[in-house]
Order: sequence, then structure tokens, then C-alpha cells
Amino acid sequence: MNREADMEITEETRGNARLFRLQGRLDSNTSPALEQRLAEALSNGTRGVVIDFKHLDYISSAGLRVILKTAKALKRDNGKLLLCCMQDYVKEVFEIAGFDSFLPILPSPEDALREI
Amino acid sequence: MNAQGCLVFELKNDIRELAALSRHVEALGRQAGIPARTLLEVNLALDELFTNIITYGFPQGGEHRIRFHLRADPRRLTIVIEDEGVPFDPVACAPAQAPCPLEERRVGGLGLHLVRNLMDEMSYRRTQGKNVLTLRKRIERQEPPACEAG
Repeated sequence: MNREADMEITEETRGNARLFRLQGRLDSNTSPALEQRLAEALSNGTRGVVIDFKHLDYISSAGLRVILKTAKALKRDNGKLLLCCMQDYVKEVFEIAGFDSFLPILPSPEDALREI
Repeated sequence: MNAQGCLVFELKNDIRELAALSRHVEALGRQAGIPARTLLEVNLALDELFTNIITYGFPQGGEHRIRFHLRADPRRLTIVIEDEGVPFDPVACAPAQAPCPLEERRVGGLGLHLVRNLMDEMSYRRTQGKNVLTLRKRIERQEPPACEAG
């Protein structure tokens, strides 16, 4: 079984920002794919990233690590990472990890894009 | 719906087995009528522990099996994980750092920090060349509807 298929990533450019939409499960199987896509965007000069979690059902520490790494890389380059539309359970995992203290979680992609 | 259930299974030390792990947890959940939120939390804790075992447990490589026993009682879920990897006591492992600014964040220990917060009890022993980890989680059920006559 191909676990890559357990997460789908779509991306689009919105103004100065790159919007990523995740669907499925972000775990140690699927997080390398997201890490690669985000790294590509950053190496292409993207400094504003929004990740839409609306259709993400599951996240483990492997997924949190990719988010943290991206947040740090963007901050170093005066960029910004914003998250939006998190399901309750995924939000709970963010809160337990303490990530909500430094990563704002916004209600919609439009709210997040406005902050970029 | 039976509020009890028991499941024993083995997984190979291969990250692709995460899919089978979540299927097993969901199967027990259906059998024992465990609330979805509890199942997600258990799934995440077992994901983190399993990922740790296969990442650090077998530096010599080769194929190994990790054994899971899951038992659902009406109010509690008990899980035992056994592996033959290098000795590792997740209970003795230092708690994750207190909240701190983004620049000082490290990622080490994050998985175990989640496990400690998601499970109610965790105990470890090393016996007969195996790591044996026992976890307990309360099952919060909504009150059952009043019994109907007949």
C-alpha cells in the first residue's frame, strides 16, 4: 500500500503568499512529502506561507516537526508561516505540543492571507 | 455493541505498518464502542511509540516484530507493547521542555511528550530481552440511555 496516498497536498499562489492545502493524515510516512514541497517553495523565494488544515484528519510529532522547521526557516528570512482551519482534534495536538503559543491558528485562509 | 474487546497483533519494523496500526485500533474501537476522540488519541500515542521503536530500537537492522495487546474494558483501555529492540524506558525519559520562544524550540522528545499527555498511565519493564510498555487510558463514555421496558 502506498502511504503517500494518505495525504494530498495542493498548492496555489495568492498574491505574495503560497497557500498549501492538506488532506488526510500527516504522520511519519507522509511528512517527508510535505517537507519537500515546503522546502521547494522556500528555495523559490516564497516568504509568506499559509497552510490550510481543513481536511487534515490526523497529525503526529513527525508532522509537527515539519511545521516547526518551516516556521523557523521563514522567521530567519523575515518570512511568515500562518495556519488556518484546524479540526478540533488536530488543534488539540498543537495545543498539547505548545505550538499554539507561537503559531497563530486562524479561522479561514483569507484571514491568514491578510496577515502575510 | 459490546463494551469490551481484546485484540493481539504484530507489526514489522517498517514505517508503512502505521496504516495497519490505525486499522487495528479502529477495529477494536468499533467492537468495543470506544468514542472517536479517545480512539484518535490512542492511535496517536501508539503511532509515536511504534515510530520510536522502529527508528531507534534496531540499529543493527533486519526484520523484527513488535507485538501489541489491546484490551478494552467498559471504562478503560489497556495496551501492552513488546519489542526486542535495545533497552529503552520511555517513562524515565526526561519530560519535554517548558514552553519557550520559537528560536529555542527543539523537536527532540516531542513524540513522548504527546504520549504522556494523551495516556493516563504508563509503566515500563525490561524482561527476557524485551521492552514491555503498559499504557492505560480511561474511556469517557456518555451515560447510556435509560433501559426500556421489555
